[in-house]
Amino acid sequence: MPQTIVAVGAGQAAAVAARTLRRRGFDGRIILVGDEALPPYQRPPLSKEYLTGEQEGGDLVVLGENWCAEHDVDLRLGVAAERIDTAARSVHLADGTRIRADKVLLATGAAPRRLPGVNGERTVYLRNLDDAARLRARLRPGAKLVIIGAGFIGSEVASAARAQGVDVVVLEQGETPLSRVIGSDIGAVCARIMRDAGVKLYTGEAVTAVDETASGIVVRTGGGLRVEGDALVVAVGAHPNTELAAASGLAVDNGVLVDEYCRTDVEGIYAVGDVANQHHPLFGRLLRVEHFDNASKQAMTAAKNMLGKLTAHTDPHWFWSDQFDLNLQHCGHSTDWDRIVVRGSVEDLDFTAFYLERGVVRAAFAIERGAEITAAKELVAASASPDPASLSDESVDLDSLLLNGTTQGTAIDGREPAMEG
Amino acid sequence: MAEWVKVADLAEVTRRRKVAVDLGGERIALFNVAGRVYAFADSCVHRQRSLSKGTVLGDRVICPGHQWAFELETGQAVDRPECQPTYRVKIENGGIWVLPRGARAPALPAPAGEKSPAGV
Repeated sequence: MPQTIVAVGAGQAAAVAARTLRRRGFDGRIILVGDEALPPYQRPPLSKEYLTGEQEGGDLVVLGENWCAEHDVDLRLGVAAERIDTAARSVHLADGTRIRADKVLLATGAAPRRLPGVNGERTVYLRNLDDAARLRARLRPGAKLVIIGAGFIGSEVASAARAQGVDVVVLEQGETPLSRVIGSDIGAVCARIMRDAGVKLYTGEAVTAVDETASGIVVRTGGGLRVEGDALVVAVGAHPNTELAAASGLAVDNGVLVDEYCRTDVEGIYAVGDVANQHHPLFGRLLRVEHFDNASKQAMTAAKNMLGKLTAHTDPHWFWSDQFDLNLQHCGHSTDWDRIVVRGSVEDLDFTAFYLERGVVRAAFAIERGAEITAAKELVAASASPDPASLSDESVDLDSLLLNGTTQGTAIDGREPAMEG
Repeated sequence: MAEWVKVADLAEVTRRRKVAVDLGGERIALFNVAGRVYAFADSCVHRQRSLSKGTVLGDRVICPGHQWAFELETGQAVDRPECQPTYRVKIENGGIWVLPRGARAPALPAPAGEKSPAGV
Protein backbone atom coordinates (compact mmCIF):
# COMPACT_ATOMS: atom_id res chain seq x y z
CA MET A 1 0.00 0.00 0.00
CA PRO A 2 1.47 3.38 -0.99
CA GLN A 3 2.79 5.44 1.87
CA THR A 4 2.23 9.11 2.58
CA ILE A 5 5.05 11.30 3.81
CA VAL A 6 4.13 14.75 5.07
CA ALA A 7 6.63 17.53 5.63
CA VAL A 8 5.56 20.28 8.00
CA GLY A 9 7.38 23.28 6.65
CA ALA A 10 8.09 24.05 3.02
CA GLY A 11 11.56 25.53 3.14
CA GLN A 12 14.96 24.26 2.07
CA ALA A 13 14.94 21.15 4.24
CA ALA A 14 11.48 20.06 3.14
CA ALA A 15 12.40 20.69 -0.50
CA VAL A 16 15.59 18.65 -0.32
CA ALA A 17 13.76 15.85 1.46
CA ALA A 18 11.12 15.74 -1.30
CA ARG A 19 13.79 15.68 -4.02
CA THR A 20 15.77 12.99 -2.23
CA LEU A 21 12.71 10.80 -1.71
CA ARG A 22 11.79 10.92 -5.38
CA ARG A 23 15.38 10.41 -6.53
CA ARG A 24 15.60 7.32 -4.36
CA GLY A 25 12.50 5.85 -5.89
CA PHE A 26 9.83 6.64 -3.30
CA ASP A 27 6.59 6.61 -5.24
CA GLY A 28 4.07 7.26 -2.48
CA ARG A 29 2.43 10.59 -1.70
CA ILE A 30 4.60 13.51 -0.68
CA ILE A 31 2.89 16.56 0.82
CA LEU A 32 4.64 19.73 1.94
CA VAL A 33 2.67 21.99 4.28
CA GLY A 34 3.99 25.56 4.49
CA ASP A 35 2.58 28.58 6.29
CA GLU A 36 4.05 31.00 3.74
CA ALA A 37 2.07 31.34 0.54
CA LEU A 38 5.22 30.69 -1.49
CA PRO A 39 6.82 27.52 -2.87
CA PRO A 40 10.11 26.48 -1.25
CA TYR A 41 12.79 29.09 -1.79
CA GLN A 42 16.35 29.75 -0.60
CA ARG A 43 16.85 32.21 2.23
CA PRO A 44 20.62 32.90 2.08
CA PRO A 45 20.27 35.37 -0.80
CA LEU A 46 17.76 37.40 1.23
CA SER A 47 20.66 39.07 3.05
CA LYS A 48 22.89 39.18 -0.02
CA GLU A 49 22.01 38.98 -3.72
CA TYR A 50 18.32 39.77 -3.25
CA LEU A 51 19.05 42.90 -1.20
CA THR A 52 21.48 44.20 -3.79
CA GLY A 53 19.02 43.51 -6.57
CA GLU A 54 21.19 40.89 -8.26
CA GLN A 55 18.42 38.38 -7.75
CA GLU A 56 14.64 38.56 -7.61
CA GLY A 57 12.18 36.41 -5.72
CA GLY A 58 11.68 34.14 -8.70
CA ASP A 59 15.40 33.35 -8.78
CA LEU A 60 15.23 31.94 -5.28
CA VAL A 61 12.67 29.22 -5.87
CA VAL A 62 13.97 25.74 -5.05
CA LEU A 63 10.98 23.59 -5.91
CA GLY A 64 8.83 25.14 -8.60
CA GLU A 65 5.29 24.28 -9.60
CA ASN A 66 6.42 22.43 -12.71
CA TRP A 67 8.82 20.21 -10.86
CA CYS A 68 6.21 19.44 -8.22
CA ALA A 69 3.63 18.59 -10.86
CA GLU A 70 6.06 16.35 -12.75
CA HIS A 71 7.19 14.59 -9.61
CA ASP A 72 3.82 14.43 -7.93
CA VAL A 73 4.69 16.51 -4.89
CA ASP A 74 1.73 18.23 -3.31
CA LEU A 75 2.35 21.74 -1.98
CA ARG A 76 -0.19 23.00 0.59
CA LEU A 77 0.89 26.59 0.94
CA GLY A 78 -0.34 29.47 3.05
CA VAL A 79 -1.69 27.19 5.74
CA ALA A 80 -0.11 26.37 9.09
CA ALA A 81 -0.05 22.95 10.70
CA GLU A 82 -1.18 23.03 14.29
CA ARG A 83 -0.64 19.61 15.69
CA ILE A 84 0.32 16.05 14.91
CA ASP A 85 -1.94 13.43 16.36
CA THR A 86 0.77 10.86 16.94
CA ALA A 87 -1.65 8.08 17.82
CA ALA A 88 -3.85 8.53 14.76
CA ARG A 89 -0.85 9.50 12.61
CA SER A 90 -2.45 12.60 11.22
CA VAL A 91 -1.31 16.16 10.74
CA HIS A 92 -3.93 18.75 11.67
CA LEU A 93 -3.91 21.99 9.73
CA ALA A 94 -5.21 25.38 10.83
CA ASP A 95 -7.97 25.23 8.21
CA GLY A 96 -9.41 22.12 9.80
CA THR A 97 -7.95 19.65 7.31
CA ARG A 98 -6.36 16.47 8.59
CA ILE A 99 -3.75 14.63 6.54
CA ARG A 100 -3.04 11.00 7.30
CA ALA A 101 0.68 10.41 7.32
CA ASP A 102 2.80 7.29 7.54
CA LYS A 103 5.88 9.41 8.23
CA VAL A 104 6.27 13.05 9.17
CA LEU A 105 9.19 15.38 8.63
CA LEU A 106 9.27 18.39 10.95
CA ALA A 107 11.06 21.21 9.16
CA THR A 108 9.44 24.23 10.74
CA GLY A 109 12.60 26.31 10.85
CA ALA A 110 13.40 29.19 13.14
CA ALA A 111 12.05 32.69 13.71
CA PRO A 112 14.01 35.84 14.47
CA ARG A 113 14.43 36.76 18.12
CA ARG A 114 12.51 39.95 18.74
CA LEU A 115 13.27 42.85 21.02
CA PRO A 116 10.19 43.52 23.17
CA GLY A 117 8.15 46.41 21.84
CA VAL A 118 10.38 46.93 18.81
CA ASN A 119 8.12 46.27 15.85
CA GLY A 120 7.36 49.44 13.93
CA GLU A 121 7.00 49.92 10.21
CA ARG A 122 10.63 51.01 9.91
CA THR A 123 11.87 47.90 11.69
CA VAL A 124 12.77 44.70 9.89
CA TYR A 125 13.46 41.28 11.34
CA LEU A 126 14.90 39.48 8.34
CA ARG A 127 13.65 35.94 7.83
CA ASN A 128 11.49 35.65 4.76
CA LEU A 129 10.97 37.21 1.36
CA ASP A 130 8.41 39.74 2.61
CA ASP A 131 10.90 41.02 5.20
CA ALA A 132 13.63 41.25 2.58
CA ALA A 133 11.36 43.10 0.17
CA ARG A 134 10.44 45.65 2.85
CA LEU A 135 14.11 46.12 3.68
CA ARG A 136 15.21 46.37 0.09
CA ALA A 137 12.73 49.17 -0.54
CA ARG A 138 14.53 51.23 2.09
CA LEU A 139 18.04 50.75 0.71
CA ARG A 140 18.59 53.94 -1.28
CA PRO A 141 21.80 55.96 -1.56
CA GLY A 142 22.07 58.25 1.42
CA ALA A 143 19.46 56.44 3.49
CA LYS A 144 20.51 55.76 7.07
CA LEU A 145 20.28 52.18 8.27
CA VAL A 146 20.84 51.07 11.84
CA ILE A 147 21.59 47.39 12.40
CA ILE A 148 21.45 45.78 15.81
CA GLY A 149 23.71 42.73 15.82
CA ALA A 150 26.93 42.09 13.92
CA GLY A 151 26.43 38.38 13.41
CA PHE A 152 26.36 36.87 9.95
CA ILE A 153 22.98 38.29 9.01
CA GLY A 154 23.82 41.73 10.41
CA SER A 155 27.17 41.77 8.60
CA GLU A 156 25.69 40.67 5.32
CA VAL A 157 22.93 43.25 5.48
CA ALA A 158 25.55 45.90 6.28
CA SER A 159 27.52 44.78 3.25
CA ALA A 160 24.54 44.87 0.89
CA ALA A 161 23.49 48.26 2.22
CA ARG A 162 26.95 49.78 1.84
CA ALA A 163 27.10 48.47 -1.71
CA GLN A 164 24.11 50.68 -2.42
CA GLY A 165 25.46 53.81 -0.82
CA VAL A 166 23.47 53.51 2.39
CA ASP A 167 24.93 55.00 5.59
CA VAL A 168 25.21 52.09 7.97
CA VAL A 169 25.56 52.01 11.74
CA VAL A 170 26.03 48.61 13.38
CA LEU A 171 25.56 48.15 17.12
CA GLU A 172 27.12 44.98 18.48
CA GLN A 173 26.88 43.83 22.08
CA GLY A 174 30.02 41.68 21.98
CA GLU A 175 33.64 42.75 21.95
CA THR A 176 33.90 42.18 18.21
CA PRO A 177 31.56 40.93 15.50
CA LEU A 178 31.17 37.15 15.57
CA SER A 179 33.24 36.79 18.75
CA ARG A 180 31.09 33.91 19.96
CA VAL A 181 31.79 31.88 16.85
CA ILE A 182 35.39 32.81 15.98
CA GLY A 183 36.73 34.60 19.04
CA SER A 184 37.71 38.23 19.49
CA ASP A 185 41.17 37.95 17.92
CA ILE A 186 39.75 36.83 14.60
CA GLY A 187 36.55 38.79 15.14
CA ALA A 188 38.67 41.93 15.21
CA VAL A 189 39.45 41.26 11.54
CA CYS A 190 35.74 41.32 10.73
CA ALA A 191 35.46 44.64 12.57
CA ARG A 192 38.26 46.02 10.41
CA ILE A 193 36.62 44.78 7.22
CA MET A 194 33.38 46.50 8.18
CA ARG A 195 35.00 49.79 9.08
CA ASP A 196 37.15 49.77 5.94
CA ALA A 197 33.89 49.54 4.00
CA GLY A 198 32.59 52.65 5.72
CA VAL A 199 30.35 51.02 8.31
CA LYS A 200 30.14 52.85 11.63
CA LEU A 201 30.57 49.89 13.94
CA TYR A 202 30.16 50.22 17.69
CA THR A 203 31.05 47.20 19.79
CA GLY A 204 30.40 46.49 23.43
CA GLU A 205 27.11 48.36 23.03
CA ALA A 206 23.86 46.88 24.28
CA VAL A 207 20.67 48.53 23.05
CA THR A 208 18.49 49.95 25.80
CA ALA A 209 15.74 51.74 23.88
CA VAL A 210 14.30 52.01 20.39
CA ASP A 211 11.83 54.73 19.47
CA GLU A 212 10.08 55.04 16.17
CA THR A 213 8.35 58.12 14.87
CA ALA A 214 6.89 59.11 11.55
CA SER A 215 10.25 60.51 10.51
CA GLY A 216 12.65 57.87 11.67
CA ILE A 217 14.01 55.67 14.41
CA VAL A 218 16.23 56.50 17.37
CA VAL A 219 18.26 53.83 19.13
CA ARG A 220 19.88 54.32 22.51
CA THR A 221 22.57 52.13 24.05
CA GLY A 222 23.91 51.32 27.48
CA GLY A 223 27.13 53.12 26.60
CA GLY A 224 25.26 56.38 26.07
CA LEU A 225 25.04 56.37 22.28
CA ARG A 226 22.07 57.92 20.52
CA VAL A 227 21.77 56.81 16.90
CA GLU A 228 19.22 58.01 14.38
CA GLY A 229 18.18 56.28 11.21
CA ASP A 230 15.52 55.86 8.57
CA ALA A 231 15.22 52.15 9.13
CA LEU A 232 16.25 49.51 11.61
CA VAL A 233 17.28 45.89 11.15
CA VAL A 234 17.30 43.75 14.25
CA ALA A 235 19.54 40.72 13.72
CA VAL A 236 20.07 39.23 17.16
CA GLY A 237 19.58 35.57 16.50
CA ALA A 238 16.69 33.20 16.04
CA HIS A 239 14.78 30.63 18.06
CA PRO A 240 13.50 27.31 16.75
CA ASN A 241 9.80 26.99 15.84
CA THR A 242 8.98 24.17 18.24
CA GLU A 243 5.37 25.05 19.05
CA LEU A 244 3.90 22.36 16.85
CA ALA A 245 6.27 19.69 18.15
CA ALA A 246 5.55 20.67 21.75
CA ALA A 247 1.79 20.67 21.10
CA SER A 248 2.16 17.17 19.71
CA GLY A 249 3.99 15.84 22.74
CA LEU A 250 7.45 15.50 21.21
CA ALA A 251 10.59 16.05 23.27
CA VAL A 252 11.73 19.64 22.81
CA ASP A 253 14.76 21.50 24.24
CA ASN A 254 16.39 24.25 22.20
CA GLY A 255 14.64 22.68 19.25
CA VAL A 256 13.11 19.31 18.51
CA LEU A 257 15.40 16.64 19.96
CA VAL A 258 16.66 14.09 17.45
CA ASP A 259 19.31 11.40 17.28
CA GLU A 260 21.99 11.17 14.61
CA TYR A 261 19.41 9.64 12.24
CA CYS A 262 17.22 12.73 12.65
CA ARG A 263 14.59 10.67 14.50
CA THR A 264 12.49 12.29 17.21
CA ASP A 265 11.30 10.33 20.22
CA VAL A 266 8.16 9.39 18.31
CA GLU A 267 8.52 6.59 15.80
CA GLY A 268 7.99 7.74 12.22
CA ILE A 269 8.54 11.42 13.00
CA TYR A 270 11.80 13.10 11.98
CA ALA A 271 13.04 16.65 12.45
CA VAL A 272 15.61 18.50 10.36
CA GLY A 273 17.05 21.93 9.69
CA ASP A 274 16.95 25.02 11.87
CA VAL A 275 14.43 23.44 14.25
CA ALA A 276 16.35 20.25 14.93
CA ASN A 277 18.62 19.80 17.94
CA GLN A 278 20.59 16.76 16.90
CA HIS A 279 22.90 14.51 18.87
CA HIS A 280 26.07 14.89 16.81
CA PRO A 281 28.44 11.89 17.07
CA LEU A 282 31.49 13.85 15.95
CA PHE A 283 31.18 16.42 18.73
CA GLY A 284 29.57 14.17 21.29
CA ARG A 285 26.80 16.60 22.10
CA LEU A 286 23.51 18.05 20.95
CA LEU A 287 23.85 20.67 18.26
CA ARG A 288 21.32 22.92 16.61
CA VAL A 289 22.59 25.07 13.79
CA GLU A 290 20.94 27.50 11.42
CA HIS A 291 23.06 26.81 8.37
CA PHE A 292 21.65 26.28 4.91
CA ASP A 293 23.97 23.33 4.26
CA ASN A 294 22.80 21.61 7.44
CA ALA A 295 19.19 21.88 6.33
CA SER A 296 20.10 20.13 3.07
CA LYS A 297 22.31 17.46 4.64
CA GLN A 298 19.91 16.57 7.45
CA ALA A 299 17.03 16.47 4.99
CA MET A 300 18.90 13.97 2.81
CA THR A 301 19.74 11.91 5.88
CA ALA A 302 16.15 11.86 7.11
CA ALA A 303 14.82 10.95 3.66
CA LYS A 304 17.20 8.00 3.44
CA ASN A 305 16.22 6.84 6.91
CA MET A 306 12.54 7.14 6.07
CA LEU A 307 13.16 4.74 3.19
CA GLY A 308 14.90 2.26 5.43
CA LYS A 309 18.52 3.06 4.57
CA LEU A 310 20.06 3.68 7.98
CA THR A 311 22.21 6.77 7.62
CA ALA A 312 23.74 8.89 10.36
CA HIS A 313 24.38 12.58 9.93
CA THR A 314 27.97 12.92 11.09
CA ASP A 315 29.26 15.68 8.80
CA PRO A 316 31.16 18.50 10.41
CA HIS A 317 29.00 21.59 9.98
CA TRP A 318 29.89 24.07 7.31
CA PHE A 319 28.62 27.50 6.33
CA TRP A 320 29.68 30.48 4.30
CA SER A 321 29.16 34.22 4.33
CA ASP A 322 29.83 36.42 1.33
CA GLN A 323 30.24 39.97 2.57
CA PHE A 324 32.19 43.10 1.61
CA ASP A 325 33.54 41.33 -1.50
CA LEU A 326 35.11 38.63 0.66
CA ASN A 327 34.32 34.94 0.91
CA LEU A 328 34.17 33.77 4.52
CA GLN A 329 33.73 30.10 5.39
CA HIS A 330 33.55 28.16 8.62
CA CYS A 331 33.45 24.47 9.40
CA GLY A 332 33.18 22.33 12.50
CA HIS A 333 32.03 23.41 15.93
CA SER A 334 33.92 24.71 18.94
CA THR A 335 32.95 26.81 21.90
CA ASP A 336 35.90 25.80 24.06
CA TRP A 337 38.98 26.12 21.93
CA ASP A 338 42.24 26.42 23.82
CA ARG A 339 44.40 27.28 20.84
CA ILE A 340 44.00 29.09 17.51
CA VAL A 341 46.55 28.35 14.78
CA VAL A 342 46.65 30.74 11.83
CA ARG A 343 47.75 29.75 8.35
CA GLY A 344 48.32 32.63 5.96
CA SER A 345 47.97 36.32 6.70
CA VAL A 346 45.24 37.82 8.83
CA GLU A 347 46.58 41.25 7.90
CA ASP A 348 46.02 40.52 4.20
CA LEU A 349 42.57 39.00 4.80
CA ASP A 350 43.85 35.75 3.29
CA PHE A 351 44.04 33.06 5.97
CA THR A 352 42.62 30.01 7.64
CA ALA A 353 42.34 29.91 11.44
CA PHE A 354 42.18 26.46 13.05
CA TYR A 355 40.47 26.08 16.42
CA LEU A 356 41.99 23.30 18.53
CA GLU A 357 40.70 21.65 21.67
CA ARG A 358 43.45 19.67 23.41
CA GLY A 359 45.30 19.35 20.14
CA VAL A 360 42.31 18.18 18.09
CA VAL A 361 41.09 20.33 15.20
CA ARG A 362 37.44 21.09 15.98
CA ALA A 363 36.71 24.07 13.76
CA ALA A 364 38.23 26.36 11.15
CA PHE A 365 37.42 29.82 9.82
CA ALA A 366 38.83 31.14 6.56
CA ILE A 367 38.76 34.27 4.48
CA GLU A 368 39.29 33.67 0.75
CA ARG A 369 40.62 30.13 1.39
CA GLY A 370 37.77 27.86 0.43
CA ALA A 371 40.11 25.07 -0.69
CA GLU A 372 41.68 24.97 2.77
CA ILE A 373 38.23 24.74 4.33
CA THR A 374 37.66 21.64 2.17
CA ALA A 375 40.75 20.12 3.80
CA ALA A 376 39.83 21.49 7.24
CA LYS A 377 36.45 19.74 7.07
CA GLU A 378 38.29 16.46 6.54
CA LEU A 379 40.57 17.19 9.50
CA VAL A 380 37.56 17.96 11.70
CA ALA A 381 35.71 14.85 10.49
CA ALA A 382 38.74 12.74 11.36
CA SER A 383 39.20 14.43 14.75
CA ALA A 384 42.77 14.92 13.59
CA SER A 385 45.55 16.14 15.88
CA PRO A 386 48.17 17.43 13.45
CA ASP A 387 51.33 19.20 14.53
CA PRO A 388 50.26 22.87 14.84
CA ALA A 389 53.49 23.95 13.13
CA SER A 390 52.39 21.99 10.07
CA LEU A 391 48.98 23.65 10.10
CA SER A 392 50.55 27.06 9.86
CA ASP A 393 53.32 26.07 7.45
CA GLU A 394 52.08 26.93 3.97
CA SER A 395 54.64 24.65 2.33
CA VAL A 396 52.91 21.69 3.97
CA ASP A 397 49.91 20.38 2.08
CA LEU A 398 46.91 20.19 4.44
CA ASP A 399 45.81 16.97 2.73
CA SER A 400 49.03 15.30 3.87
CA LEU A 401 48.10 16.04 7.48
CA LEU A 402 44.99 13.99 7.03
CA LEU A 403 46.94 10.89 6.13
CA ASN A 404 48.77 11.32 9.40
CA GLY A 405 45.37 11.33 11.09
CA THR A 406 45.27 11.29 14.82
CA THR A 407 48.95 11.16 15.62
CA GLN A 408 50.80 14.07 17.09
CA GLY A 409 54.22 14.74 15.68
CA THR A 410 55.82 15.75 12.44
CA ALA A 411 53.83 15.96 9.27
CA ILE A 412 54.91 13.78 6.38
CA ASP A 413 56.89 15.38 3.59
CA GLY A 414 54.59 17.69 1.62
CA ARG A 415 56.10 17.14 -1.84
CA GLU A 416 53.86 15.72 -4.55
CA PRO A 417 54.60 12.18 -5.74
CA ALA A 418 55.86 12.15 -9.35
CA MET A 419 53.17 11.41 -11.94
CA GLU A 420 53.19 7.91 -13.38
CA GLY A 421 53.80 7.08 -17.04
CA MET B 1 37.42 17.71 -38.36
CA ALA B 2 37.76 18.75 -34.72
CA GLU B 3 40.51 21.15 -33.74
CA TRP B 4 42.34 20.17 -30.59
CA VAL B 5 44.16 23.05 -28.87
CA LYS B 6 47.32 22.64 -26.83
CA VAL B 7 46.76 24.47 -23.57
CA ALA B 8 49.65 23.38 -21.35
CA ASP B 9 52.81 21.33 -21.11
CA LEU B 10 52.53 17.92 -19.54
CA ALA B 11 55.49 18.76 -17.29
CA GLU B 12 53.69 21.72 -15.77
CA VAL B 13 50.50 19.78 -15.07
CA THR B 14 52.59 16.98 -13.61
CA ARG B 15 54.29 19.40 -11.27
CA ARG B 16 51.40 21.63 -10.26
CA ARG B 17 48.39 19.27 -10.21
CA LYS B 18 45.94 22.17 -10.73
CA VAL B 19 46.51 24.63 -13.54
CA ALA B 20 44.30 27.36 -15.00
CA VAL B 21 44.79 27.93 -18.72
CA ASP B 22 43.22 29.97 -21.46
CA LEU B 23 41.24 28.43 -24.30
CA GLY B 24 40.16 31.00 -26.84
CA GLY B 25 39.35 33.55 -24.16
CA GLU B 26 37.77 31.12 -21.72
CA ARG B 27 39.51 29.99 -18.54
CA ILE B 28 39.88 26.22 -18.24
CA ALA B 29 40.90 24.39 -15.08
CA LEU B 30 43.12 21.35 -15.58
CA PHE B 31 43.33 18.78 -12.80
CA ASN B 32 45.93 16.04 -12.61
CA VAL B 33 44.48 13.25 -10.50
CA ALA B 34 46.47 10.03 -10.11
CA GLY B 35 48.00 10.40 -13.53
CA ARG B 36 44.81 11.35 -15.39
CA VAL B 37 44.12 14.88 -16.56
CA TYR B 38 40.65 16.44 -16.50
CA ALA B 39 39.52 19.75 -17.95
CA PHE B 40 36.68 21.85 -16.57
CA ALA B 41 35.38 25.30 -17.33
CA ASP B 42 37.13 27.28 -14.59
CA SER B 43 34.15 29.49 -13.73
CA CYS B 44 31.80 27.64 -11.39
CA VAL B 45 28.21 27.39 -12.61
CA HIS B 46 27.07 28.50 -9.13
CA ARG B 47 28.64 31.91 -8.41
CA GLN B 48 31.50 31.93 -10.93
CA ARG B 49 34.33 31.23 -8.52
CA SER B 50 37.52 29.77 -9.91
CA LEU B 51 37.54 25.96 -9.77
CA SER B 52 41.31 25.89 -10.24
CA LYS B 53 41.56 27.52 -6.80
CA GLY B 54 39.59 24.64 -5.40
CA THR B 55 40.68 21.16 -4.54
CA VAL B 56 40.22 17.55 -5.56
CA LEU B 57 38.75 15.17 -3.00
CA GLY B 58 38.53 11.57 -4.11
CA ASP B 59 36.75 11.53 -7.46
CA ARG B 60 35.40 15.07 -7.16
CA VAL B 61 36.45 18.65 -7.75
CA ILE B 62 35.40 20.96 -4.91
CA CYS B 63 34.74 24.60 -5.73
CA PRO B 64 36.35 26.89 -3.15
CA GLY B 65 33.48 29.36 -3.22
CA HIS B 66 30.74 27.31 -1.61
CA GLN B 67 32.11 23.74 -1.56
CA TRP B 68 30.02 22.54 -4.49
CA ALA B 69 31.33 19.12 -5.52
CA PHE B 70 31.52 18.03 -9.18
CA GLU B 71 32.28 14.53 -10.39
CA LEU B 72 35.65 14.50 -12.17
CA GLU B 73 34.51 12.25 -14.99
CA THR B 74 31.27 14.00 -15.92
CA GLY B 75 31.12 17.43 -14.27
CA GLN B 76 27.83 16.47 -12.63
CA ALA B 77 27.27 18.32 -9.35
CA VAL B 78 26.77 16.01 -6.39
CA ASP B 79 23.21 15.95 -4.98
CA ARG B 80 22.03 18.76 -7.21
CA PRO B 81 20.87 19.08 -10.82
CA GLU B 82 23.59 21.46 -12.07
CA CYS B 83 26.52 20.32 -14.21
CA GLN B 84 29.87 22.00 -14.68
CA PRO B 85 31.02 22.04 -18.32
CA THR B 86 33.90 19.65 -19.00
CA TYR B 87 36.20 19.27 -21.97
CA ARG B 88 37.75 16.30 -23.67
CA VAL B 89 41.48 16.05 -23.04
CA LYS B 90 44.28 14.26 -24.77
CA ILE B 91 47.95 14.03 -23.92
CA GLU B 92 50.23 14.04 -26.89
CA ASN B 93 53.82 15.04 -27.60
CA GLY B 94 54.39 16.26 -24.06
CA GLY B 95 51.38 18.53 -24.16
CA ILE B 96 47.86 18.72 -22.77
CA TRP B 97 45.33 19.23 -25.57
CA VAL B 98 41.72 20.22 -25.10
CA LEU B 99 38.80 20.06 -27.53
CA PRO B 100 36.90 23.37 -27.43
CA ARG B 101 33.15 23.31 -26.77
CA GLY B 102 30.98 23.42 -29.83
CA ALA B 103 33.61 21.58 -31.87
CA ARG B 104 32.30 18.32 -33.27
CA ALA B 105 34.43 15.63 -31.70
CA PRO B 106 35.22 12.39 -33.54
CA ALA B 107 33.39 9.37 -32.17
CA LEU B 108 35.47 6.91 -30.13
CA PRO B 109 37.75 5.05 -30.74
CA ALA B 110 40.13 7.99 -31.23
CA PRO B 111 42.02 8.28 -34.51
CA ALA B 112 45.49 6.74 -34.73
CA GLY B 113 48.13 8.82 -32.95
CA GLU B 114 45.79 10.05 -30.21
CA LYS B 115 45.85 8.57 -26.76
CA SER B 116 42.56 7.81 -25.05
CA PRO B 117 40.76 10.89 -23.70
CA ALA B 118 42.01 12.11 -20.34
CA GLY B 119 44.50 9.25 -19.98
CA VAL B 120 48.27 9.24 -19.80
